[in-house]
Amino acid sequence: MLLPFFQWCDGLAISQAYRDSTYLFPLTQALHLLAVTVFVGAIVIGDLRLLGWGPVGQSRASITRSAGSILLWAGLAVVLTGIPQFTTNALTYHRSWLFVFKMYLLAAALLFTVTVRQRVAGAAEGRLPSWVPKAVGAVSLALWIGVTISGRLITYYG
Amino acid sequence: MPSIVPAFAWLEGLAWTTALRESPFGYPLIETSHVACIVVFAGLVIMMDLRLVGLAFTHAPLAQIQRRLFPWQMATFVPSTATGILLFCVDPLRYYRNVLFLAKLVFLALAGLNALAFHLKTYRRVEGWDEDPQVTAIARLAGVASLLLWSLTIVSSRLIPNNWFK
Repeated sequence: MLLPFFQWCDGLAISQAYRDSTYLFPLTQALHLLAVTVFVGAIVIGDLRLLGWGPVGQSRASITRSAGSILLWAGLAVVLTGIPQFTTNALTYHRSWLFVFKMYLLAAALLFTVTVRQRVAGAAEGRLPSWVPKAVGAVSLALWIGVTISGRLITYYG
Repeated sequence: MPSIVPAFAWLEGLAWTTALRESPFGYPLIETSHVACIVVFAGLVIMMDLRLVGLAFTHAPLAQIQRRLFPWQMATFVPSTATGILLFCVDPLRYYRNVLFLAKLVFLALAGLNALAFHLKTYRRVEGWDEDPQVTAIARLAGVASLLLWSLTIVSSRLIPNNWFK
Protein backbone atom coordinates (compact mmCIF):
# COMPACT_ATOMS: atom_id res chain seq x y z
CA MET A 1 0.00 0.00 0.00
CA LEU A 2 2.79 2.40 0.91
CA LEU A 3 5.12 1.21 -1.86
CA PRO A 4 4.62 4.31 -4.08
CA PHE A 5 5.66 6.54 -1.15
CA PHE A 6 8.78 4.45 -0.51
CA GLN A 7 9.61 4.56 -4.24
CA TRP A 8 9.16 8.33 -4.26
CA CYS A 9 11.55 8.64 -1.27
CA ASP A 10 14.08 6.43 -3.02
CA GLY A 11 13.97 8.62 -6.13
CA LEU A 12 14.53 11.94 -4.35
CA ALA A 13 17.62 13.96 -5.31
CA ILE A 14 18.82 13.90 -1.69
CA SER A 15 18.63 10.08 -1.65
CA GLN A 16 20.76 9.92 -4.78
CA ALA A 17 23.24 12.43 -3.37
CA TYR A 18 23.57 10.29 -0.23
CA ARG A 19 24.08 7.13 -2.30
CA ASP A 20 26.74 8.84 -4.44
CA SER A 21 28.75 10.22 -1.52
CA THR A 22 31.27 8.18 0.45
CA TYR A 23 31.03 10.37 3.54
CA LEU A 24 27.52 11.82 3.73
CA PHE A 25 25.66 8.68 4.86
CA PRO A 26 28.17 7.52 7.54
CA LEU A 27 28.50 11.05 8.95
CA THR A 28 24.71 11.40 9.13
CA GLN A 29 24.52 7.99 10.86
CA ALA A 30 27.12 9.15 13.40
CA LEU A 31 25.28 12.41 14.12
CA HIS A 32 22.02 10.45 14.38
CA LEU A 33 23.56 8.24 17.07
CA LEU A 34 24.81 11.32 18.93
CA ALA A 35 21.33 12.89 18.82
CA VAL A 36 19.78 9.58 19.96
CA THR A 37 22.25 9.47 22.88
CA VAL A 38 21.27 12.96 24.07
CA PHE A 39 17.55 12.16 23.59
CA VAL A 40 17.81 8.88 25.52
CA GLY A 41 19.80 10.62 28.28
CA ALA A 42 16.99 13.16 28.72
CA ILE A 43 14.39 10.37 28.77
CA VAL A 44 16.35 8.21 31.23
CA ILE A 45 16.98 11.01 33.76
CA GLY A 46 13.21 11.66 33.84
CA ASP A 47 12.36 7.97 34.05
CA LEU A 48 14.85 7.40 36.87
CA ARG A 49 13.18 10.24 38.76
CA LEU A 50 9.76 8.69 38.14
CA LEU A 51 11.08 5.37 39.42
CA GLY A 52 12.36 7.13 42.54
CA TRP A 53 16.01 6.38 41.69
CA GLY A 54 17.07 9.64 40.06
CA PRO A 55 17.57 13.11 41.56
CA VAL A 56 14.83 12.65 44.20
CA GLY A 57 15.65 15.97 45.87
CA GLN A 58 13.86 17.63 42.94
CA SER A 59 10.22 17.22 42.04
CA ARG A 60 9.29 14.93 39.15
CA ALA A 61 7.78 17.92 37.37
CA SER A 62 10.90 20.07 37.58
CA ILE A 63 13.24 17.31 36.31
CA THR A 64 11.00 16.36 33.39
CA ARG A 65 10.33 20.03 32.56
CA SER A 66 14.05 20.76 32.35
CA ALA A 67 14.64 17.58 30.34
CA GLY A 68 11.77 18.61 28.04
CA SER A 69 13.70 21.27 26.15
CA ILE A 70 16.61 18.84 25.65
CA LEU A 71 14.13 16.27 24.33
CA LEU A 72 12.76 18.80 21.89
CA TRP A 73 16.13 19.83 20.41
CA ALA A 74 17.61 16.34 20.44
CA GLY A 75 14.38 14.94 18.97
CA LEU A 76 14.57 17.48 16.16
CA ALA A 77 18.18 16.43 15.45
CA VAL A 78 17.14 12.73 15.51
CA VAL A 79 14.41 13.42 12.92
CA LEU A 80 16.62 15.60 10.70
CA THR A 81 19.40 13.00 10.63
CA GLY A 82 16.96 10.09 10.42
CA ILE A 83 15.02 11.29 7.34
CA PRO A 84 17.90 11.15 4.80
CA GLN A 85 18.90 7.72 6.13
CA PHE A 86 15.34 6.54 5.59
CA THR A 87 14.90 8.01 2.09
CA THR A 88 18.28 6.67 0.92
CA ASN A 89 17.32 3.11 1.85
CA ALA A 90 13.55 3.44 1.52
CA LEU A 91 13.12 0.36 -0.66
CA THR A 92 15.15 -1.79 1.73
CA TYR A 93 13.14 -0.52 4.69
CA HIS A 94 9.92 -1.26 2.86
CA ARG A 95 10.79 -4.96 3.08
CA SER A 96 12.16 -4.82 6.64
CA TRP A 97 9.88 -6.19 9.36
CA LEU A 98 12.29 -4.81 11.99
CA PHE A 99 11.98 -1.31 10.56
CA VAL A 100 8.17 -1.58 10.70
CA PHE A 101 8.42 -2.90 14.27
CA LYS A 102 10.72 -0.01 15.25
CA MET A 103 8.32 2.55 13.75
CA TYR A 104 5.34 1.08 15.67
CA LEU A 105 7.39 1.04 18.86
CA LEU A 106 8.54 4.62 18.22
CA ALA A 107 4.94 5.75 17.70
CA ALA A 108 3.90 4.01 20.94
CA ALA A 109 6.82 5.54 22.86
CA LEU A 110 6.09 9.05 21.54
CA LEU A 111 2.39 8.77 22.28
CA PHE A 112 3.06 7.42 25.77
CA THR A 113 5.61 10.20 26.47
CA VAL A 114 3.40 13.13 25.44
CA THR A 115 0.27 11.76 27.13
CA VAL A 116 0.59 9.44 30.15
CA ARG A 117 4.19 10.22 31.10
CA GLN A 118 3.79 13.98 30.84
CA ARG A 119 0.57 13.89 32.87
CA VAL A 120 2.02 11.72 35.63
CA ALA A 121 5.31 13.64 35.76
CA GLY A 122 3.43 16.92 36.05
CA ALA A 123 1.06 15.72 38.78
CA ALA A 124 1.60 17.13 42.26
CA GLU A 125 3.78 14.93 44.49
CA GLY A 126 1.67 12.66 46.67
CA ARG A 127 -1.45 13.06 44.53
CA LEU A 128 -0.99 9.69 42.84
CA PRO A 129 -0.38 6.30 44.48
CA SER A 130 3.39 5.74 44.63
CA TRP A 131 3.27 2.79 42.20
CA VAL A 132 1.85 4.93 39.36
CA PRO A 133 4.94 7.08 38.58
CA LYS A 134 7.12 4.00 39.09
CA ALA A 135 5.10 1.98 36.56
CA VAL A 136 5.09 4.91 34.10
CA GLY A 137 8.88 5.30 34.43
CA ALA A 138 9.42 1.57 33.86
CA VAL A 139 7.15 1.46 30.77
CA SER A 140 8.77 4.58 29.30
CA LEU A 141 12.26 3.18 29.87
CA ALA A 142 11.30 -0.16 28.27
CA LEU A 143 9.72 1.56 25.25
CA TRP A 144 12.65 3.88 24.50
CA ILE A 145 15.33 1.24 25.10
CA GLY A 146 13.26 -1.01 22.82
CA VAL A 147 13.29 1.65 20.10
CA THR A 148 17.09 2.02 20.43
CA ILE A 149 17.71 -1.74 20.32
CA SER A 150 15.38 -2.44 17.41
CA GLY A 151 16.93 0.46 15.48
CA ARG A 152 20.36 -1.05 15.89
CA LEU A 153 19.21 -4.58 14.99
CA ILE A 154 17.90 -3.38 11.60
CA THR A 155 21.55 -3.33 10.43
CA TYR A 156 21.81 -7.09 11.01
CA TYR A 157 18.37 -8.53 10.53
CA GLY A 158 16.47 -5.82 8.65
CA MET B 1 60.35 -4.34 18.63
CA PRO B 2 58.09 -7.41 18.94
CA SER B 3 54.83 -7.15 17.04
CA ILE B 4 51.46 -7.52 18.74
CA VAL B 5 49.92 -8.97 15.57
CA PRO B 6 50.67 -12.65 16.44
CA ALA B 7 48.90 -12.20 19.78
CA PHE B 8 45.85 -10.74 18.04
CA ALA B 9 45.96 -13.52 15.43
CA TRP B 10 46.01 -16.08 18.26
CA LEU B 11 43.06 -14.32 19.94
CA GLU B 12 41.14 -14.25 16.69
CA GLY B 13 41.78 -17.95 16.15
CA LEU B 14 40.43 -19.14 19.51
CA ALA B 15 37.41 -21.41 19.37
CA TRP B 16 35.07 -19.08 21.28
CA THR B 17 36.02 -15.91 19.35
CA THR B 18 35.60 -17.81 16.06
CA ALA B 19 32.24 -19.17 17.22
CA LEU B 20 31.02 -15.67 18.16
CA ARG B 21 32.28 -14.18 14.88
CA GLU B 22 30.60 -16.83 12.76
CA SER B 23 27.37 -17.04 14.74
CA PRO B 24 24.39 -15.23 13.18
CA PHE B 25 23.46 -13.95 16.65
CA GLY B 26 26.71 -13.68 18.65
CA TYR B 27 28.29 -10.55 17.19
CA PRO B 28 25.00 -8.68 16.44
CA LEU B 29 23.66 -9.21 19.95
CA ILE B 30 26.90 -8.22 21.67
CA GLU B 31 27.22 -5.14 19.46
CA THR B 32 23.60 -4.13 20.04
CA SER B 33 24.03 -4.52 23.83
CA HIS B 34 27.22 -2.43 23.58
CA VAL B 35 25.41 0.35 21.72
CA ALA B 36 22.39 0.30 24.08
CA CYS B 37 24.62 0.51 27.18
CA ILE B 38 26.84 3.23 25.74
CA VAL B 39 23.82 5.30 24.66
CA VAL B 40 22.35 5.24 28.19
CA PHE B 41 25.76 5.77 29.83
CA ALA B 42 26.84 8.65 27.58
CA GLY B 43 23.32 10.08 27.66
CA LEU B 44 23.44 10.35 31.45
CA VAL B 45 26.98 11.75 31.35
CA ILE B 46 25.77 14.40 28.89
CA MET B 47 22.85 15.28 31.21
CA MET B 48 25.36 15.75 34.03
CA ASP B 49 27.57 17.86 31.74
CA LEU B 50 24.64 20.05 30.69
CA ARG B 51 24.06 20.73 34.40
CA LEU B 52 27.77 21.48 34.86
CA VAL B 53 27.79 24.06 32.07
CA GLY B 54 24.51 25.53 33.36
CA LEU B 55 22.33 24.65 30.37
CA ALA B 56 19.85 22.30 32.08
CA PHE B 57 18.55 21.22 35.49
CA THR B 58 19.87 24.49 36.94
CA HIS B 59 17.32 24.42 39.77
CA ALA B 60 18.92 21.20 41.09
CA PRO B 61 22.13 21.42 43.15
CA LEU B 62 25.10 20.10 41.15
CA ALA B 63 26.21 17.76 43.92
CA GLN B 64 22.79 16.13 44.09
CA ILE B 65 22.55 15.52 40.35
CA GLN B 66 26.11 14.13 40.36
CA ARG B 67 25.50 11.85 43.33
CA ARG B 68 22.20 10.45 42.06
CA LEU B 69 23.33 9.83 38.48
CA PHE B 70 26.75 8.37 39.20
CA PRO B 71 25.58 4.82 40.18
CA TRP B 72 23.52 4.61 36.96
CA GLN B 73 26.42 5.85 34.88
CA MET B 74 28.58 3.11 36.39
CA ALA B 75 25.83 0.48 36.02
CA THR B 76 25.87 1.09 32.25
CA PHE B 77 29.59 1.83 31.87
CA VAL B 78 30.62 -1.61 33.19
CA PRO B 79 28.54 -3.67 30.70
CA SER B 80 29.41 -1.30 27.85
CA THR B 81 33.12 -1.81 28.60
CA ALA B 82 32.69 -5.59 28.95
CA THR B 83 30.82 -5.88 25.63
CA GLY B 84 33.33 -3.52 24.00
CA ILE B 85 36.24 -5.75 25.06
CA LEU B 86 34.32 -8.78 23.80
CA LEU B 87 33.75 -7.12 20.42
CA PHE B 88 37.45 -6.39 20.13
CA CYS B 89 38.36 -10.00 21.02
CA VAL B 90 36.05 -11.32 18.31
CA ASP B 91 37.75 -9.34 15.55
CA PRO B 92 41.05 -7.93 16.90
CA LEU B 93 42.97 -7.71 13.61
CA ARG B 94 40.21 -5.67 11.98
CA TYR B 95 40.01 -3.19 14.86
CA TYR B 96 43.76 -3.00 15.42
CA ARG B 97 44.30 -1.57 11.94
CA ASN B 98 41.31 0.78 12.03
CA VAL B 99 42.26 4.44 12.56
CA LEU B 100 38.73 5.40 13.62
CA PHE B 101 38.78 2.67 16.28
CA LEU B 102 42.09 4.02 17.57
CA ALA B 103 40.65 7.56 17.50
CA LYS B 104 37.69 6.33 19.58
CA LEU B 105 40.07 4.84 22.15
CA VAL B 106 41.99 8.14 22.36
CA PHE B 107 38.78 10.18 22.87
CA LEU B 108 37.57 7.62 25.42
CA ALA B 109 40.84 7.81 27.36
CA LEU B 110 40.79 11.63 27.30
CA ALA B 111 37.15 11.68 28.47
CA GLY B 112 38.08 9.29 31.29
CA LEU B 113 41.09 11.41 32.31
CA ASN B 114 38.96 14.56 32.25
CA ALA B 115 36.37 12.91 34.52
CA LEU B 116 39.08 11.61 36.85
CA ALA B 117 40.86 14.97 37.10
CA PHE B 118 37.54 16.71 37.73
CA HIS B 119 36.60 14.32 40.53
CA LEU B 120 40.02 14.43 42.19
CA LYS B 121 40.28 18.22 41.96
CA THR B 122 36.80 19.27 42.93
CA TYR B 123 35.01 16.38 44.60
CA ARG B 124 36.26 17.29 48.08
CA ARG B 125 34.51 20.64 47.67
CA VAL B 126 31.41 19.08 46.20
CA GLU B 127 29.03 20.81 48.60
CA GLY B 128 30.35 24.21 47.57
CA TRP B 129 29.86 23.66 43.86
CA ASP B 130 26.86 25.91 43.67
CA GLU B 131 28.27 28.75 45.79
CA ASP B 132 32.01 28.93 45.03
CA PRO B 133 32.50 30.83 41.72
CA GLN B 134 36.00 29.37 41.23
CA VAL B 135 34.71 25.79 41.55
CA THR B 136 31.80 26.64 39.27
CA ALA B 137 34.24 27.90 36.61
CA ILE B 138 36.32 24.68 36.81
CA ALA B 139 33.13 22.63 36.70
CA ARG B 140 32.00 24.48 33.56
CA LEU B 141 35.33 23.91 31.85
CA ALA B 142 35.26 20.20 32.73
CA GLY B 143 31.67 20.02 31.48
CA VAL B 144 32.51 21.57 28.11
CA ALA B 145 35.52 19.24 27.69
CA SER B 146 33.40 16.24 28.66
CA LEU B 147 30.60 17.16 26.23
CA LEU B 148 33.11 17.52 23.41
CA LEU B 149 35.04 14.32 24.20
CA TRP B 150 31.96 12.10 24.65
CA SER B 151 30.44 13.48 21.45
CA LEU B 152 33.65 12.64 19.58
CA THR B 153 33.69 9.17 21.16
CA ILE B 154 30.13 8.47 20.00
CA VAL B 155 30.72 9.85 16.49
CA SER B 156 34.00 7.97 15.98
CA SER B 157 32.37 4.75 17.32
CA ARG B 158 29.69 4.91 14.67
CA LEU B 159 32.24 5.58 11.94
CA ILE B 160 34.41 2.52 12.75
CA PRO B 161 32.75 0.18 10.18
CA ASN B 162 33.77 2.59 7.38
CA ASN B 163 37.54 2.40 8.00
CA TRP B 164 38.27 5.37 5.71
CA PHE B 165 41.98 5.65 6.52
CA LYS B 166 43.43 2.29 5.46
